[in-house]
Amino acid sequence: MTSAQIEVLLQTLISGILLGGLYALIGLGMTLIMGVMKIINLAHGELMMVAMYIAYWMFVLFHVDPYLSVFIAAPVMFFLGVMIQKFLINPVLRVESILPENQVILTVGIGMVLSNLATMFFTSDYRSTPVGYATDALYLSDYWKSSPIELSLSVPWSVSFVFAVIITIALWFFLSKTDTGKSIRATAQDPEAALLMGVNIKLMRVITFGLGSGLVGAAGCLLLPIYYLFPALGGQFTLIAFVITILGRLGSAMGAIIGGLVLGVFESLTATYIGMGWAPVGRFVMFIACLVFLPGGVASLLRKKRFGA
Amino acid sequence: MKRLSFAVVFIFVLSIFAAPVLAANTFELVIPLPLTGKQAKFGEMMKRSYEMAAEEVNARGGIKKKKLILAFEDSGAKPETARAIVERLIDVKKQPIIVGEYTSACAKAVAAVAEERKTPYLIVASADDEITQQNYKYVFRQNQVNDHYADALVSFFRDVVKPRTIAILYESSAFGTSGAEAMAKDAAKLGVRVVMKEKYEAGSVDFRPLLSKVKAARPDVVYMVSYVMDASLLMKQIKELRVDAKLFAGGAAGFAIPEFIENAKDAAEYVVSATLWTEQLKYPGAGEYAEKYKARYGAYPSYHGASAYSAIFVVKNALERAKSWTPDAIRDSLKATNLMTAFGPIRFENREGYRNQNFMDTLAIQVQSGRFETIWPLNHASKRYIYPIPTWRQRR
Repeated sequence: MTSAQIEVLLQTLISGILLGGLYALIGLGMTLIMGVMKIINLAHGELMMVAMYIAYWMFVLFHVDPYLSVFIAAPVMFFLGVMIQKFLINPVLRVESILPENQVILTVGIGMVLSNLATMFFTSDYRSTPVGYATDALYLSDYWKSSPIELSLSVPWSVSFVFAVIITIALWFFLSKTDTGKSIRATAQDPEAALLMGVNIKLMRVITFGLGSGLVGAAGCLLLPIYYLFPALGGQFTLIAFVITILGRLGSAMGAIIGGLVLGVFESLTATYIGMGWAPVGRFVMFIACLVFLPGGVASLLRKKRFGA
Repeated sequence: MKRLSFAVVFIFVLSIFAAPVLAANTFELVIPLPLTGKQAKFGEMMKRSYEMAAEEVNARGGIKKKKLILAFEDSGAKPETARAIVERLIDVKKQPIIVGEYTSACAKAVAAVAEERKTPYLIVASADDEITQQNYKYVFRQNQVNDHYADALVSFFRDVVKPRTIAILYESSAFGTSGAEAMAKDAAKLGVRVVMKEKYEAGSVDFRPLLSKVKAARPDVVYMVSYVMDASLLMKQIKELRVDAKLFAGGAAGFAIPEFIENAKDAAEYVVSATLWTEQLKYPGAGEYAEKYKARYGAYPSYHGASAYSAIFVVKNALERAKSWTPDAIRDSLKATNLMTAFGPIRFENREGYRNQNFMDTLAIQVQSGRFETIWPLNHASKRYIYPIPTWRQRR
């Protein structure tokens, strides 16, 4: 390999990992909701779009940096998620219907309402990322003068990645160490047993949907500095989150993280060595291959190893 | 009683004679265009521009002392609706000339109707090459065709940049693909080697893998055909990866709209793009029209508006020269048009397989200090082009 080829490979891996970190955070919220509620939340991307508008207007009106907006948008989205679960999804859960999955259809409707409301209030104009540091980067040659290759590390992408890691660790801590977190996991594993153990399942479901929305809200704030914003942006990210959820294993947080990273790196490698036009094809080939050959997702591999089975 | 009935009959008779006299003092032109749907933004800009032109025409005495009255019909950018509107205009209203529409699909449908019913049709902003390649006698087009869209850019390459290699990146849509094909053909004509020609999915988040490949290929020119925001994301990541080339060029669309500079910020600097019209052109009335439009509606119009505005003057000019206001007489007089407008000189020629096509100069613009400046051809330039451009490392 020549140094130019090595440079391309390393740069591809760097961007794949950074992209994967962001993907993981986007997928995490969906996985969480999936695990506890057993439904796919197809309004996921639209919830992220709402959070991005919050972060955008916080910056334009009050000059709050999108990264600080995580602490504003995530709680707001948590609240919105709680409201959606309490007043929209829970009533539908109670109704007997021919279609058992009508909550999923409901989430599609919620997504449509959100994106149309955004079009009404904010017009369908594209909004530019407001921050000035969007293209700042660190360069290897600035630190190692005689470096034979040049690598760059985007500052906002790296910050977003670090934020994603911190949020993920915080979530892990919450789920495994706190009482509420354990109750959520119990609800996910076996709702009836959890109910017998005195867990308030209904409350746990409400909290979970809130948490999932809050997580994707945080992801939206991290995406704003590196992307742009328009009302119809949700769909494409719902799709990505869906693929990650399947890749990871439905409902597994660790699986979502690995799924996100794998997808990010895989997409980057496809873009470099096959062609960027093939990235979406590669994404879904992987999706289908995973369903066929690894129905338990990446998490099932982990478990096999752990128990030596 | 007798007297009363006489008066009634008198008034009635008078009104029969008076009606045509009154009508003869006005000329009503109904214009089909998209006012709803995805293309509504452009339809609205064109409607405003038509109205501005009509106001000016009427302020100066109308067309042959007749007041020009405009009306608009919404086609919603649907060819079948556009077709129905125009059939009614010609068959029922007997309108002797058709102006308007925006999308190429609609213009194609309208052109077929106009040709069939032998009524002249003036196209203002539909670019599909085919429309004027079908040897239609009654169809006229004043805007430049797709195939020639990047002419100015290509001549800028030939005369100034003199590249030996080019990388073409384009979005995987009909628009992106045809733009990339056209550039590849132009490059072959100039003897420029295409080292990379790769498509991407519109709306992608991360272009870095693609761009590191571009960096390794070291092309002289990077040419990108992108819609709206992909353009700015591409330039941002080009800056971040420090991909250096002699020139970064865009094929209009995403590279020629204000959002490009807004989102890409300093990464947009020195990027060159093709376009059809800018408010900086020195054509008579171009600046005045643009300023007036901006004062009324808050933003500069794009070429769509300028073409619509000028179309009214083309129609006025043709009607004034026509022997009579029958479709055939108007057709003959349109064919003989030689008029300078705010959009540029209008002359309908038959060449290169096109019929009744106006071939006008296309332009190249460059972002300089966060503003679009017209740089090519030199006789239209508002500022001198900046070339060679500094490398990313020098720009800090």
